[in-house]
Amino acid sequence: MIERISRRKWLASVPALGGLLLTGCSRETFVPPRVRGGLIGAADVLTMSTNRLLLSGQPLAREYARSEIADPFPTWNQTNPRNDEYQRHASEGFRNYRLPITGLVQRPRELSLDEIKSLPSRTQITAHVCEQGWSAIGEWTGAPLQRVLEAAGGVTPAARYVVIETFDRWYESYDLFEVEHPQTILAYGLNRQDLPRGNGAPLRLRVERQCGYKNLKFLRSIQVVDSVAAFGRGTGGINSDFGFHWFAGV
Amino acid sequence: MDSTSISELPRPAAETSRLVHSYSVRICHWINVVACAYLLVSGVHILLDFPELYWGNTGYRGYQAAFRLADWGLSWDQAGALGDRRWGRNYHFTFAWVFLINGLVYVGWNLYSRHFRDQMLPARGELTGAHVRTELRDHFRWRSLRHASSGTYGTLQKTSYLILIFVFVPLMILTGIAQSPGFTAAMPALLDLFGGRQSARTLHTIGTVLLVLFVVAHVLEVAAAGFFSKVRSMITGK
Repeated sequence: MIERISRRKWLASVPALGGLLLTGCSRETFVPPRVRGGLIGAADVLTMSTNRLLLSGQPLAREYARSEIADPFPTWNQTNPRNDEYQRHASEGFRNYRLPITGLVQRPRELSLDEIKSLPSRTQITAHVCEQGWSAIGEWTGAPLQRVLEAAGGVTPAARYVVIETFDRWYESYDLFEVEHPQTILAYGLNRQDLPRGNGAPLRLRVERQCGYKNLKFLRSIQVVDSVAAFGRGTGGINSDFGFHWFAGV
Repeated sequence: MDSTSISELPRPAAETSRLVHSYSVRICHWINVVACAYLLVSGVHILLDFPELYWGNTGYRGYQAAFRLADWGLSWDQAGALGDRRWGRNYHFTFAWVFLINGLVYVGWNLYSRHFRDQMLPARGELTGAHVRTELRDHFRWRSLRHASSGTYGTLQKTSYLILIFVFVPLMILTGIAQSPGFTAAMPALLDLFGGRQSARTLHTIGTVLLVLFVVAHVLEVAAAGFFSKVRSMITGK
């Protein structure tokens, strides 16, 4: 009896171990936080798990030559949140802006824009791919999200998702696999200038392997959580709350 | 009580010999019809939501476009009001999987059963200029119907189906994937293959138009060969 249970346990651990060896990363999720019903949900799982298997080595998204940059970079959707707090920060040149990093991190804290700029930075010339169909190439400079979380002592073992909220009341969540990618940065520069307000000042997220709507602008806060159920309608993002894909790699 | 009288009825030889269309062909054909219908309608929704096409890596509203629906009488706002990209994206990516899996099952099944080799690869004598010319001439005089009733494919039919299945459909899948930021991170060569993400989107759209024309021609051929008997044989196999 005992033997049988242990064998079952061992068998159950094979795919998990396989996944670990295959990906070299245990922080990976293969399905959205809340899987939709029916054929659409099945397709979501296929799309995300296929993508995650193909990207398990965390390759970089294509980086382009400076000659391909769109300058000025197009602005789209929200370009100036009508939010008193945001307007006050903008009028002060974001000198008093603080980004809180809370939840499942070792030392929750707030970071000023200067503190974020003093972290190791990364510059990448990548394509912004909007799910509506347009794309444009920009040179983004920012702090890797992983470095920002390390500035707060790093995530605790229970951490599963990073939830980012914005001044225009959007929010999205990302699994740690996406967070750990070197090109996942909090950008404060675009085309070698300060990030313009129309493109999300003072900080916007770059997740280069997902569509535009996951690349949030006007960042207000970062929370590390083990579940996204308490946010919005519980699907893990404002876009998925409204019936779009949570995983926006397509 | 009538069983004996039925069995005594004379039976046409062809009916007992073999089916015109195997199970695999019939099942995959009708799943494909549903998947393609959803892919077309959802794809149109996605396009209407951003009704311009570009070449290269870059394309946005205000950038030099290769095609603008506005030039064809439908303004950006009118097109946007017609297109529902949320519905479009959800169903496009769902039925892309249905289409892909169904297609792989079809190809795998028919490679295994040798349907491709035995019935779809043109025989050596079929690919001569004279044979193709004769068949083309007969075709446009509507004489090709004997192929249709004999249960074998004509040379033109074989060639167009093989090109469709093994060249055109893979290109449609790849131009689709080349628009995805996730999949192109894994396979950046796709961006080079088609000359950029916007080029892939434009080629995907051109491919859709060609596929629609193919389906129109296909249905016209079926109609010319006897619509009801052909549709029946694609359902019952006989």
